[in-house]
Amino acid sequence: MATIGSIAERESSSATMARARARAALIPDLLIEARHVANNVHAGWHGRKKRGVGENFWQFRPYVEGESMASIDWRRSARDDYVYIRDREWQATHLVWIWIDESPSMLFKSDLTTVSKQSRAVVLGLALAELLARSGERIGLAGLTKPVVSRHAAERIGEALSLAGPQTEFPSPLSANGRSDIVLFSDFLEDPQVIETRLASLARSGVRGHLVQIVDPVEEVFPYAGRIEFSDPETGEKITTGSAASLRDSYSGLFRAHVSAVRKAANALGWSHTLHHTDKLASQALTSLHIHLSQDRGQR
Amino acid sequence: MAGLPLAFASPWILLALGLLPLIWWLLRLTPPLPQTEAFPPLKILARLIQREETPSQSPWWLTLIRLAMAALVIFAMAGPVFNPTATRLDGEGPVLITLDNGWASGSVFKDRRATAEALIREAGETNRTVMLYATAEPAEAGVPLDPQAALLKLESIEARPLMPDHAAFAKLISAATQRQSPGSMFFLSDGLQYPGTSELATALSTGASQQEIILAPASSIMAMAGVRNDPDALSGKLVRAAAGNSVAVELTAHDNKGLPIARQTVTLAPEATEAEFRFSEPVELRNQVVRVSLDQLGNAGGVQLLDDSFRRRLVGLVSGEAGDLSQPLLSPLYYISRALAPFSDLRESTSANISTAIPELLAQGVSAVVLADIGTIPAEAGDQLSSWIEKGGMLIRFAGPRMAAAPEDPLLPVELRRGDRNLDSALSWDTPKALAPFERTSPFFGIEAPRDVTIRRQVLALQDIDLEKKTWATLEDGTPLVTATKKGSGWIVLFHTGSEASWSNLPISGTFVEMLRRVVNQSRSNPLAAADASTTLPPLRLLNGSGELGAPGPEAKPLVLEEGKTASVSFDNPPGFYGTEDGFAALNLFRVGDTLKPLDRSLFSPAAVTSNYAADAAMDIKPWLLMAAALLLALDCLAVLWIAGLVRMRMPTRPISTAALFFAIIAGGAILPATPVHAQQNGSTLEGKPVEDFSATLATRIAYVVTGDAALDDVSRAGLTGLTRFLASRTALEDSEPAAIEISTDELSFYPLIYWPISLDAPIPDAATMARVDAFMKQGGSILFDTRDQIGGVMGGTSGSPEALRLQAILSSLDIPPLQPVPPDHVLTKSFYLLSSFPGRYAGGELWVESLPAQNEQGERPVRAGDGVSSIMITSNDMAAAWAVDTNDQPLFQTIPPDPAQREYAFRVGVNIMMYVLTGNYKADQVHIPALLERLGQ
Repeated sequence: MATIGSIAERESSSATMARARARAALIPDLLIEARHVANNVHAGWHGRKKRGVGENFWQFRPYVEGESMASIDWRRSARDDYVYIRDREWQATHLVWIWIDESPSMLFKSDLTTVSKQSRAVVLGLALAELLARSGERIGLAGLTKPVVSRHAAERIGEALSLAGPQTEFPSPLSANGRSDIVLFSDFLEDPQVIETRLASLARSGVRGHLVQIVDPVEEVFPYAGRIEFSDPETGEKITTGSAASLRDSYSGLFRAHVSAVRKAANALGWSHTLHHTDKLASQALTSLHIHLSQDRGQR
Repeated sequence: MAGLPLAFASPWILLALGLLPLIWWLLRLTPPLPQTEAFPPLKILARLIQREETPSQSPWWLTLIRLAMAALVIFAMAGPVFNPTATRLDGEGPVLITLDNGWASGSVFKDRRATAEALIREAGETNRTVMLYATAEPAEAGVPLDPQAALLKLESIEARPLMPDHAAFAKLISAATQRQSPGSMFFLSDGLQYPGTSELATALSTGASQQEIILAPASSIMAMAGVRNDPDALSGKLVRAAAGNSVAVELTAHDNKGLPIARQTVTLAPEATEAEFRFSEPVELRNQVVRVSLDQLGNAGGVQLLDDSFRRRLVGLVSGEAGDLSQPLLSPLYYISRALAPFSDLRESTSANISTAIPELLAQGVSAVVLADIGTIPAEAGDQLSSWIEKGGMLIRFAGPRMAAAPEDPLLPVELRRGDRNLDSALSWDTPKALAPFERTSPFFGIEAPRDVTIRRQVLALQDIDLEKKTWATLEDGTPLVTATKKGSGWIVLFHTGSEASWSNLPISGTFVEMLRRVVNQSRSNPLAAADASTTLPPLRLLNGSGELGAPGPEAKPLVLEEGKTASVSFDNPPGFYGTEDGFAALNLFRVGDTLKPLDRSLFSPAAVTSNYAADAAMDIKPWLLMAAALLLALDCLAVLWIAGLVRMRMPTRPISTAALFFAIIAGGAILPATPVHAQQNGSTLEGKPVEDFSATLATRIAYVVTGDAALDDVSRAGLTGLTRFLASRTALEDSEPAAIEISTDELSFYPLIYWPISLDAPIPDAATMARVDAFMKQGGSILFDTRDQIGGVMGGTSGSPEALRLQAILSSLDIPPLQPVPPDHVLTKSFYLLSSFPGRYAGGELWVESLPAQNEQGERPVRAGDGVSSIMITSNDMAAAWAVDTNDQPLFQTIPPDPAQREYAFRVGVNIMMYVLTGNYKADQVHIPALLERLGQ
């Protein structure tokens, strides 16, 4: 009898790029409404509600001695006796870190789906990068690249991913301190306590996180029956059970409890948590991620 | 295996049992292999399963099952036999073996032969000669044979579908034993006693030092003793030689092609030696049965063959009289059907219309048709009848008033004089005649001519040169009473008198039944029953020893039938069918009343040992062992599947729902096709029925025939309207508007009276239309024909007028009884008004009605009535013109002569006709009320 689950090949990011583009094309331009945009000088589309460097008109104000003559708005000044300067709104980009888990457990793929979890995670990550790049955000791969602002940021991230090899380590606290978002794509199958401490150490740097937990349907439904030897792809550990069908109910209860523990850990930090099954459409996860990213969470 | 009666064909295979420990070790070593699955959330799963479960051995019970399986297979391969046969021959000198190979051996003959073969082989081992006799073979003297030759002879012996001829072999054997007395005697009996068994016992009881009788259990021997085709079922009896356990056997009735027609199970009660069986299928099916067999018996005694003589003949009945169920004793078919019912099956036509009734009956495959008082047969039906007779049908006709009045008819054996001979009338000098004794050449010969049967009226044959030859029965004075002629291969038979009691009392005598039986049996004769002289029939299909029908073998000889002797089964003539496919006779081993007797042990000398057939006791148990092993294998497969988790014990709902779905599909498949069929049938009855104008059924309406002549039709409509209004004002009858009917297409049965004016322009209706009219009249409707020519007729008579000729042409194809002008005591003169004449627009014409039976001595009565309403009335007085009124109720036509009273009388005629049609002879009975009251003494 053929097995239900299998370990898929690691999918290269270049192959998934096209699929990611297709996914991203389905999502409207992502404009992150971040309350606390990092205080940086890079031009972006997030208005800071104060004057500064930007493209949009902010205000006219009287010319003060010492200011550059080039900033005088002559058309406005010609209408009365004062000389005015056209101020622009200060616009800045938002920094979004992306992290894609590529540990062996992510390579799992079951009969019920067509893609492995890793493949789906890369697609989601690149699609998000594409969306953010379209909105002019700064995007970086946590632990791999520096943040870049580019229309081609997604390509660059993809290139970096394929060059770097599988990313298995959870990202360390980020160098770029605070005022940024991080999106974590993983199956989060570790112990909830381990996950909690890792998230906490990330959160300490002030970053806002979004967890996308990618799950194969088999892992939730547990459609096994009979005498089966289960092996863990990460550790190689083996467990044999005589009648797998009898474990189904208690297993799925445990799995649901695990997922809700992960969600609880995320919510405790004010982070969002999205559960995504690989038999569903990638755009579903992307949509809900979009909602979480553009939402003003009303904190801090 | 000392204690058990068990032997092995190849015991050395049992050595393989030593391999069992090795198998056990191998089985214990290999546990079932688990399925390997990658599973990332193993940590979560690990919380559920604390310890690692890796059984290295299969469960002990699985090992046990497999070991038992292996042991069973080894035992089976060793060929175990329960109750093995022992050697039984001792003594010296020739071995005398007498073997019953009659019908009762049948399916078990192989075992009998095996027993004999074992004996002969044993004789061969001790170099003894063998005298071998098989009792159903032709009786030929035998010599002692050496065992090899005896085996060859035994090979050629097979079970015969015959009775063993014990008497003949008794003589042979006693002659042979006198020449050389045997050392051992074996009688391999089939367990039954036959007529010569006591002689055989005596012949066998001499001398031999070892005597043994090998018997079959008598209670298992069964035979079918005869079959009868009763009116309601094909019945017969099963007999067995001795009472025994309750046995259920299955009987099958086969048709000529060997296909089963009916099947039933008969149970023999524990203490009973016989059981009845009945096949109650419809007679058409029963008539197709040629073979009834006891399926599981497999011998010739369990088969009964049926030929033509078992068939019940189908007789179709057609009558010219209106189907009046209220007066069955007057129906022409009443006595005929009572007389025919015991020995044939009757089919009465549902249609009163002869031209549809006859084809309908012929299509049912009747072998005889009885026409009671049919005067005129429609041409098309007549053609069908005569071609059917040519092919072998039998037409039986009875005279009556209609036939007496009918013109020439080709479907009669003799030419008839018009009219009838009334031997009992006032004008006759004769007295009613009795029957003459039947001639030797007549089929009725042998029936005693009854003295109390008298013929009062009959139809007479025209003198003819071969009238004598055609006559089957005559009256005392020599006038033919029954004549018959052969037409093609069929017959036409005519009874010159009526089939009901008014013309003679023959139909109510027992002789009538006997005569009809002879006539109907003539319809298709059976060569076995009616062998005139000695007839020779070639064998067609014969039974073999196993009770199967097959092509005749080389021994079979033609069956010679001699007059007065019943054919019997012999070696030359085994049971089976003799003759040709077209007509064959069945020869049966058993007849009705035969019984079976078990062999009487006391006939043999007390020295003889009795034993059973060894093959009955020895049982090969190899197949049972193998079957047990196969069952264990199936069990093992299920267990392995269960261990592997494929049979989901934890989730019973899914298999059950799957099974339920499966059964639902099957059940749906069985039910679904039936439902649309019902729907279709319903639909077709709803849609297929033509939409009739049912208004005709809601009120009483007088109808008139549309002639196509517009002026005439207007007069008819106006006339009937006037009559209807008159009826409404003077009587309780409130009609609605008259109905105009197209005689060839409209349904007639709603109307009590149809007014039919004769028009010279109207075409003469075709045969089909007249058949409808005929059926209408026979079913109780009346038609008033009006020739309207009284004024134009010559000398006041109407016989020669064009309209009268036209009427004659129209009526020529109808079955019209004799007519007469309304006599003064006819009920028509009294049914509402008292009338003495029946004027219309013209006053002079007569009203003709069916003639009433002659007035008998009951002349005192004020009125006479027939037993029904005259179905035909003919007038020439142009009634409709007298009745015709316009919308203001003013008359449209002047009466001739111009007399207002005549119109009133014309209306009264109309009322009387209508009342007569609707009430029948009720009014005739009414006028007798004073006389009846007087008789009651009031």
